Amino acid sequence: MSPDAKSEINVKKDQGVLYMGIDLGTSRTSVASSNGVRTTLSSHVGYPKDVVSRKLLGRDVLYGDEALEHRLSLKFFRPLAAGVLKQSQHKAEDVAGNLKAAADLLTEIIRLGKPRADELVYAVIGVPAQAAIHHKEAIVKAARESCDAVMLCSEPFAVAYGLDMLEDVLVVDIGAGTTDLCRMHGTMPEDSDQVTTTYAGDYVDEKLADLVRKRYPKAQFTTRMIKEIKERHANVSDSSPAVVVDLPVDGKPTPFDITEELRTACRSIAPPLVEGLSQLIATFDPEFQHRLKNRVLLAGGGSQIKGLDLAIEDEMRRRLGHGRVLRIEEPVYGGANGALKIAHDMPAEFWEKLK
Amino acid sequence: MPQFQTVRLSESTQGLFSAGDVERLMRAEFDRAGRHKFPLVVMLVAVDRLGQLQDLYGWESKDEILRAIVSMLRASLRDSDLLGLTQDDRILLVFPHTTPESAGLLARRLLTGSRKLRFDRDGRTLRISLSIGISHNRQTGDLSFETLVAVAEDGLTVADAAGGDRFVETELYQLYEKKRKARARARETAGLSPEEPARIVASVPPIEAAPPDGHRLTPDDPIGQALLELLASQGFDGQKFVGIDPEAVANAIRRAQLERVAKQVDTTRPATPEELLEKQEQIDTLERRIAKLTQILGLTEEELRRVAELKGVDFGMPSIYKSVQGLTGGEAEFARKKAMMLTILEANLALKRDLEAQGESPGETRT
Repeated sequence: MSPDAKSEINVKKDQGVLYMGIDLGTSRTSVASSNGVRTTLSSHVGYPKDVVSRKLLGRDVLYGDEALEHRLSLKFFRPLAAGVLKQSQHKAEDVAGNLKAAADLLTEIIRLGKPRADELVYAVIGVPAQAAIHHKEAIVKAARESCDAVMLCSEPFAVAYGLDMLEDVLVVDIGAGTTDLCRMHGTMPEDSDQVTTTYAGDYVDEKLADLVRKRYPKAQFTTRMIKEIKERHANVSDSSPAVVVDLPVDGKPTPFDITEELRTACRSIAPPLVEGLSQLIATFDPEFQHRLKNRVLLAGGGSQIKGLDLAIEDEMRRRLGHGRVLRIEEPVYGGANGALKIAHDMPAEFWEKLK
Repeated sequence: MPQFQTVRLSESTQGLFSAGDVERLMRAEFDRAGRHKFPLVVMLVAVDRLGQLQDLYGWESKDEILRAIVSMLRASLRDSDLLGLTQDDRILLVFPHTTPESAGLLARRLLTGSRKLRFDRDGRTLRISLSIGISHNRQTGDLSFETLVAVAEDGLTVADAAGGDRFVETELYQLYEKKRKARARARETAGLSPEEPARIVASVPPIEAAPPDGHRLTPDDPIGQALLELLASQGFDGQKFVGIDPEAVANAIRRAQLERVAKQVDTTRPATPEELLEKQEQIDTLERRIAKLTQILGLTEEELRRVAELKGVDFGMPSIYKSVQGLTGGEAEFARKKAMMLTILEANLALKRDLEAQGESPGETRT
């Protein structure tokens, strides 16, 4: 909702308080609201390239899968790369575009949470553990257009808080752009308690694309196609069923067996993740290190890779002696649920200070 | 079950009631027997091989045989006994105040009498015999006139199949009663057909076989007695008609029956197929209107949504909270969680201060 529209409506907000928990991810953005609405949207934003496409599409902005579908007619943005707003490594035009796309994406996901015009909207947004300050500022600025008060918190902390696992837990939140590792020991995690790596979903996609390209040089595919194959068949188990996919060769769909490539690509993130876990465990109080090893919480979209928990346990056993990995029940909404719980638990006077 | 439809008896059988009259009178007698708990016997009589005799010697011969049988029967009957001829040339008799044992004796007497009859045709002497089915109302359980007739007919069939010249009483009362009730239930379920009222009206014939001219309705003679019973069964005070011409009484009864049938048709019968069809068409029309209105409502809602979107208005869904919540003292790990909330707040306050200090878009200045 634009500021102009808001001012035109001029609704008195005294009918209730809508809490929102938002997981702003590289691949997907999810929202859970205190009105019972829960939804998710792929983090894509597109603007019609010209008047013709504007007329054809009938809208000024497209979001999610719809934007992806019409991306050839759009100025297409995936505003969150590597878990943060894309801006610093690009030319000025892209920087402004990504900022606007991020703001619009936030506006859209808040709209999908169906807030009433006469309710206060208090939102907690989960951001990567080590997001730069300017990224956080940009997100807050974008969210303020749709919310009465906004707070940011660390994504892995939100996941742990949502599950009431506040002590002696290692959270592994595998997203598309980043994997956040967070050590929970009863207090708010500090910077030293958190590690962010880029060994995440996008890394697996690139790895898989490289492997397939190397084995089947004539196969034609895009990163998007590889991502879809991964989301459907990802499995690290030795006994996983054969994965045979049709990829075009000179325009003709041709079956390719990529079982081994997919398994290798998916497994490739386990060692660096365990490396990050080792850092967090090794720097923890030696008396309580074994507790951390026994409570590794696997969250995020990447946790849906079949057998990954066992692969991480194997790697931990090899490097750290032992380890026990738990899977979160709701990979897509774990972050949003936790953020919603934080919003709910935040005292009223705290919200007042941020309005 | 014999078909008691309106049939005109041939000249040779004049003097008998019409089949419809016979049925009505017999029903009345049956009802009266039930009310007054007196025994009653129903007998169905058929001349063996009558169809073959008619084929060989013509319908006149059949008529002559029947006339002779009726005469013999009349000679054997009391005045209070009822006698009628059915469509298929069978003779139905009702014997009020007659026990089954007496009916057996009577049947034997009829069989003996029929054997003595002689008919000369084409130089040959024809001898006939009878098959008789008997039933009575001394059975336990529910009974109806239809059941007695059906049992008598069943006995007749058995007697005929066994070679004739005998009487048989079967014990299938409850079977036929069960069937009759099932048929009645089926009729009630199915409802009357469109032709049903007309058929019912047509099935109420005038009393044509009136007693001799000048006869007046009196309770002393069998006909008058039967008519009075009939009047009582129809809800009339029969005594009011004493001394009136039976034909006038019959017409009055018929008119009353017609009115009653018409009343039943109006108030109690289920809808006819035509009426059902008409109702169904009305329902279809209403359903079409509902569907159309629903469609219009859907389009209107869609348009409202579209306009709301254009205006940037989303009505949204109400939150379950009317006020700000927050941690409460009784919550587990309250202190720890509150400290965490405070840490988050402080980090966000710092962020807010940074933004306020900048006063411009952070993304454009801090790349």
